[in-house]
Amino acid sequence: MHAPVLVLKDSLKRESGAKVHRANIQASKAVADIIRTTLGPRSMLKMLLDAAGGIVVTNDGNAILRELDLAHPAAKSMIELSRTQDEEVGDGTTSVIILAGELLHVAEAFIDKHYHPTVICRAYTKALEDSIAVLDKIAIPIDVNNRASMLGLVKSCIGTKFTSQFGNLIADLAIDATTTVGVDLGQGLREVDIKKYIKVEKIPGGQLEDSRVLRGVMFNKDVVAPGKMRRRILNPRIILLDCPLEYKKGENQTNAELVREEDWAILLKMEEEYIENICVQILKFKPDLVITEKGLSDLACHYLSKAGVSAIRRLRKTDNNRIARACGAVVVNRPDELQESDVGTGAGLFEVKKIGDEFFTFIVDCKDPKACSVLLRGASKDLLNEVERNLQDAMSVARNILKNPKLLPGGGATELTVSASLKQKSSSIEGVEKWPYEAAAVAFEAIPRTLAQNCGVNVIRTMTALQGKHASEENAWVGIDGNTGAIVDMREQQIWDSFNVKAQTFKTAIEAACMILRIDDIVSGIKKKQAPGAGPAPSKPKIEEEGDADGEQILPD
Amino acid sequence: MDFTVPVPNVLGERLSGQDVRDQNVMACQAVANIVKSSLGPAGLDKMLIDDIGDVTITNDGATVLKMLDVEHPAAKILVGLSQLQDREVGDGTTSVVIVAGELLKRANDLVKSRMHPTLVISGFRLAMREACRFIKEKLAIEIDKLGRECLINCAKTSIASKMIGSESDFFAKLVTEAVLAVKTMSAEGVVRYPIKSINILKFHGESVKDSYLLDGYALNIGRSAQGMPTRVAPARIACLHFNLQRTKMQMGIQVSVTDPRALKKICQREADITKERIGKLLEAGANVVLTSKGIDDMSLKYFVEAGVIALRRVPKDDLRHVSKATAATMVSTFANMEGEETFDSSFLGYADEVVETSIAGCDVVLLKGTKNTNAVSLILRGANDFMLEEMERSLRDALHTVKSTLESNLVVAGGGAVEAALSMHLERLATSLESREQLAVAEFAESLMIIPKVLAVNAAKDATDLVSALRSCYHPTQVGADEQHLSSMGLDLSRGVVRNSFEAGVIEPAINKVKIMQFATEAAITILRIDDMIKLVGDRQEYEEE
Repeated sequence: MHAPVLVLKDSLKRESGAKVHRANIQASKAVADIIRTTLGPRSMLKMLLDAAGGIVVTNDGNAILRELDLAHPAAKSMIELSRTQDEEVGDGTTSVIILAGELLHVAEAFIDKHYHPTVICRAYTKALEDSIAVLDKIAIPIDVNNRASMLGLVKSCIGTKFTSQFGNLIADLAIDATTTVGVDLGQGLREVDIKKYIKVEKIPGGQLEDSRVLRGVMFNKDVVAPGKMRRRILNPRIILLDCPLEYKKGENQTNAELVREEDWAILLKMEEEYIENICVQILKFKPDLVITEKGLSDLACHYLSKAGVSAIRRLRKTDNNRIARACGAVVVNRPDELQESDVGTGAGLFEVKKIGDEFFTFIVDCKDPKACSVLLRGASKDLLNEVERNLQDAMSVARNILKNPKLLPGGGATELTVSASLKQKSSSIEGVEKWPYEAAAVAFEAIPRTLAQNCGVNVIRTMTALQGKHASEENAWVGIDGNTGAIVDMREQQIWDSFNVKAQTFKTAIEAACMILRIDDIVSGIKKKQAPGAGPAPSKPKIEEEGDADGEQILPD
Repeated sequence: MDFTVPVPNVLGERLSGQDVRDQNVMACQAVANIVKSSLGPAGLDKMLIDDIGDVTITNDGATVLKMLDVEHPAAKILVGLSQLQDREVGDGTTSVVIVAGELLKRANDLVKSRMHPTLVISGFRLAMREACRFIKEKLAIEIDKLGRECLINCAKTSIASKMIGSESDFFAKLVTEAVLAVKTMSAEGVVRYPIKSINILKFHGESVKDSYLLDGYALNIGRSAQGMPTRVAPARIACLHFNLQRTKMQMGIQVSVTDPRALKKICQREADITKERIGKLLEAGANVVLTSKGIDDMSLKYFVEAGVIALRRVPKDDLRHVSKATAATMVSTFANMEGEETFDSSFLGYADEVVETSIAGCDVVLLKGTKNTNAVSLILRGANDFMLEEMERSLRDALHTVKSTLESNLVVAGGGAVEAALSMHLERLATSLESREQLAVAEFAESLMIIPKVLAVNAAKDATDLVSALRSCYHPTQVGADEQHLSSMGLDLSRGVVRNSFEAGVIEPAINKVKIMQFATEAAITILRIDDMIKLVGDRQEYEEE
């Protein structure tokens, strides 16, 4: 009589209790282990082979994790962290994962001791509050107009990257680009929109040292009729259009039924007249350069070249917007509604140059460029891609400092200080939260420890020495020189991190750790419909330690 | 059995009598067990993964059950139950399932001891009515006596069990402010709190504590063209429901002309119709135009020139809320009865200010000081998307709680206080009954104690100890002159003692508890009444033909 009662579909897999806690922690740690070696100046690159067979060579935490196809849900949420960090501040993508992994690792001991996860979460949140307070205390303000100190800062931030071997180059580019497009919002606030107004153009060939920030923009286009149109114009008058310069058919479906032969001629004539009309309208404003986002017919090309006007067609909307900002033009839709104020006169030089076997248009020497292109040169495409990623990081750093001009010591010194002060505070905490709180303090040491590990010094000796130094308050600036592994004062070495990055790292890591700890039940395989042609087995992090670990079992198949 | 009785010829299985009851009860209990561990301040979260691999992390009973593909028909009733609670009061979705599960278990035991289900049912009904009366008359306290602090406490109680529980003080304030900000008085003088006009926007990054309340309704889209102003004040808003593009006939309409010149005219006219429409909008004085459809580059130019903020592809829900808040009429066509096109200025909505700002790197358009109802937006920040989604769910629950507190104006003590009080009261009532319903009422009373029990178990406390301590508080000899004071003794789960929940600020809206009682009892009764289950298999032949 007792037939089994099926409440859930048998395709559902359910795991609950301490097993889930352990599996989640294992998975998160596995993610952290993957990128552990990419932290610090002595970091290693990772080579990834993506599904399409392309290679990515990078040491950017986010770029690595993005490519990984992880199946464990907790591991997925770790990857999200890195993405959040990248979007918000653009740097510290590796640290955030390592820190979160470590926080979960120390929590495991408490789970084993049957601590209630909410207690651990409470303690962690408290630790977060206190650590941000510590950051506030040790941060030092910086003058954003002082180029030398800015340069040092940006340099130290990207010191861990591949391009650090090229000296100041990338830092210079980043600072130039961000100061160019920075907008003063008043009250000493500056907003920098990297995404919209800075374009990085990569052209393989040449040397990395040839890279530079243009006072204006460039793009991969040539004039419509080479030979007939000028390729170099000083102080050009620029008209930007986003309508086609060809005969526009109506939106409606229209048929013309021609009965007489003359009508045919009229029809053709009309189309020609239409184009001529537009060209006349444009030529009235005596432009030297006409750029449109859409097409440009041969006939229009003829009219324009006859008037000595250079024309470029099929430009991207975003590029067009950047040109508008750089030279002060307004993008116009209907040529018959052109106004004098729409013509851009801010640019000093229009030039089409041949680099390699492709033509590139430069609109440079702008008076007050509010947008710019960064021209990167280099030996190979893979190299350029990595340089671009580094540059993006560097620009984010520069932007963060422009937004919030406060500095913290790098090289693990900040984490050590936070750790030391949290440890001190932990003795004054009442109740069971004391131990997880202290554990959180210890977890912060993961960053300097990993740094030490990566540069190959004796980890235990270095860490104990550092802890000793940080026990007294005066040594808040002592950290590890990531290159030599020596214990140095960060102020002397000029190794800095921006406040925003550090604060965001701590916040993201702790909050995510709390979230993962609070999970006590995993149900997978909901709405199973046997995905057609399920792809190749996802590469998953190996969870070696636990033979009976359920990490694999709960993977949706 | 000795001989087989010819059964009605149905394709499928048939279960009846005690078997089906056992099975149903077992299924319901399984469902209750799933959500059990997420109840209370020490409850934990569930991680749900669907077949694509999308992850949801949640603590909300209704969400968990909705996502789980529950198959058993009786268990589905329970899932529906939590959904109902979610719609009606927004909070208490876990409790209602747990209570219903426990009621069923005990009812089944009664039936097994040869008590007819209908008797049990009438006993439950009686108990439920008495419980609701008791809550309203004896336990509930009007918030007018307690003030604003009490609202914050209500919100806090709701949030405390969620992922953002450690920041419950912070979010409770935020939620209370948000609800109070949207207070409106209807024409009949009834105060309403339309929490739908609280828009919740999520941006990852920063920390949960960096979430904030923003005055004005936020639309998560930037203005359509860079050339538009970033601020318009005072704003006159037009809400449209059609394209502002070159006019195009419906599908399949062809225009045939014989005169080639007419072609050009058609072209011209296409552009001009839209131009005229825009002209009418501008003439009516609109300086903010929102449309749920597109605006093409040609039309944008006119708006740019007129200094109008135009937004295209506004989500329909947002548009509806905006039109409600600003008293704008949503217009889906300009045509009037005379066959002409007009746009009356009375269709416009009003707001003090419309600005575009950047939040976390995204452009957001804010409508401030809207005419009809004040709109506010909650901007949530957090480590990743899973977290933000769970935060939104938690805050929606809290918003609901605050709203129902304000509208019903009655609160009760939380932390198992109400259940304990009710349980003791019903037990006393049971002993005064002469009929056999006495047993059912007594069991009902006993089932309510499941809530404090689960609370204690989740917090890893000694449930037996705590619950008996709690019950002793409500014993008749204890409930003397100062009845009010005792009726709010509840559990303190972080320390594992019994304390006064009111003074500790653990309170819930009374309506919440009343609904839990009603819904849980109704669901239990529905399932209890079932004594036969026939599961039909599909017509196989037909199936094969397909």
